[in-house]
Amino acid sequence: MSIKGGGFERKSKASSEVPSSSMADIAFLLLIFFMVTTVFQADRDRPIVWPVAGAAQKIDEKQKNILMVWMERDGSVFINDQGYPMEDVSTVIAPLYAASERALVISIRADREVPYVYMDALTQELVSAGVVRVVFAAQLEESMQRERR
Amino acid sequence: MAVLNAKKSKVSDEVPTSSMADIAFLLLIFFLVTTTFPKDKGLAVVLPEPGEEAQVSQKNILHLIVQPNGIVEVKRGENEQIQRMRPQEIEGLWRSAVSANPNLIAAVKTHPQAPYKYMMDVLDALHAAHAERISLQILEN
Repeated sequence: MSIKGGGFERKSKASSEVPSSSMADIAFLLLIFFMVTTVFQADRDRPIVWPVAGAAQKIDEKQKNILMVWMERDGSVFINDQGYPMEDVSTVIAPLYAASERALVISIRADREVPYVYMDALTQELVSAGVVRVVFAAQLEESMQRERR
Repeated sequence: MAVLNAKKSKVSDEVPTSSMADIAFLLLIFFLVTTTFPKDKGLAVVLPEPGEEAQVSQKNILHLIVQPNGIVEVKRGENEQIQRMRPQEIEGLWRSAVSANPNLIAAVKTHPQAPYKYMMDVLDALHAAHAERISLQILEN
């Protein structure tokens, strides 16, 4: 059939394969695009100064079952990027709580300087909405700070 | 003829690596999507049901009154004697008090004008001391 060294059966130089060396680049481009454009949480962080607590623990609940209730220094309440007057909080939260089949955890994110009278009003609203599980969100205190004081 | 065929094996001796990138990306995207960053930290509290009120004997209550300046006034049950301390000292106080009376309830009463952070300090100290029965109230009158 073929004669060795005849040179007639030379291979075609053109590769029969689709070039795949740049595929990784394309994939990275897509990856970075989606990473940049993805928004994980619906609401934006409110400008608050976090309270600190050394005993703060991670919330043992799925992200979708955590509702953040923000309270700014002047006592105004924000839920899902919208401000509500204090007396409306229970009527806003009650349907959300029912929709989650009572699994909802309320994460209260209040400014550390907010007078307690507002916090008390908020917890009273949560109680009347039937909420049981509440987390007072705090930043974990550094152990160095803790030892110093 | 048979000898010629055997000369050139059609089977490549290399593991195909072209799809490795796909596998890696599949894994990467899978973990990217499923990861949630546990940034939520805080002190968990269980609120009472609406209308639920528990009658507790005065001797089982440890009153912790948080004043606007951050000083905590400690009152034990019927005892009228007031002990003033810093929130950080509550942890040790609770540990010794609860070992004397295991049914003790911490009643944290905060002054309406006291900043939230002082209440958090007290709550933090109680959590650090593994207190489970905590009542959060506002200081009346």
